[in-house]
Amino acid sequence: MRKIGINQRKIAFFTGGIMLNDDIEKVLITEAEIKYKVHELGEIISSDYEGKDLVLVSVLRGGVVFVADLMRSISIPLTIDFMAISSYGPSTETSGVVKVLKDLEENIYNRHVVVVEDIIDTGLTLGYLLRNLESRKPASINICVLLNKPARRIVDLPIKYKGFDVPDLFVVGYGLDYQQNYRHLPYVGILKKEVYEI
Amino acid sequence: MEKTKSDNNERSKIIYKGIEFAHPSEEQCAKILDFYGIKWEYEPNTFPIEWDKDGNVTQSFSPDFYLPDLDLYIELTTMSQKLITKKNRKIRKLKELYPNIKIKVFYQKDFKNLLRKYGLPKPY
Repeated sequence: MRKIGINQRKIAFFTGGIMLNDDIEKVLITEAEIKYKVHELGEIISSDYEGKDLVLVSVLRGGVVFVADLMRSISIPLTIDFMAISSYGPSTETSGVVKVLKDLEENIYNRHVVVVEDIIDTGLTLGYLLRNLESRKPASINICVLLNKPARRIVDLPIKYKGFDVPDLFVVGYGLDYQQNYRHLPYVGILKKEVYEI
Repeated sequence: MEKTKSDNNERSKIIYKGIEFAHPSEEQCAKILDFYGIKWEYEPNTFPIEWDKDGNVTQSFSPDFYLPDLDLYIELTTMSQKLITKKNRKIRKLKELYPNIKIKVFYQKDFKNLLRKYGLPKPY
């Protein structure tokens, strides 16, 4: 991965320009568009959960950036918590199953839960997570997702709060990674093919 | 995963959970579904899609997976985009004849992207 130099960062900051990473083909959703949408979602959630005991559950690590901005756009009292679950990968053993790597510290029984995710793709991870959380008998559970990529959906999930629909492209930034890189980018960009195609 | 070499020819059998898969991508798909706790059945149903004038079935289609909890069929197509016209025609017919069936087709590109998401190499 090519890194952005300090001077480039300074130029981008002072000029208000887009700090385009060399590995990004194109910016799909700008920082301004994300800010506007997150603010909009925050207002809707504030209104929907007025007077309710709201818990935002974010999924590590991709959901961190989104939940950090979203919670500051919500005007009602809330609690946040995090979960981390293992994902399928080359080191997954035969007959391996999802493992909860970090569980909630909050008890969500009889509370109103909104699961905050960066992206929903196949729906397999979120489907598992919902089943897991539902077993703890919250008062309600809804999904808030910044990016919805429906092209490869296997598990259909009811998305109550949605940022943007995105095509089946390799997107990174604003929490989304490729090999743990690019999460810090303030926009959602399409990764250049030469970065991931060997 | 159990993998055994066929005794009488060079073709490797792809066996997982006692089921012989036609293609490594199917085995990979089964493992991903297992990982996320999604129940699956491998080619459980065959749907007739063409008959001759005497009513005999001349063409049928067996989607690769059925996910009973989601009531969804999954078909993996690992052929290149140019060669899938025939299969697309079959799927179109299936949808016309059995409109209540939910089927999701994963083309080579989709599956490749899915494997990339999990950091896995192509199984073909």
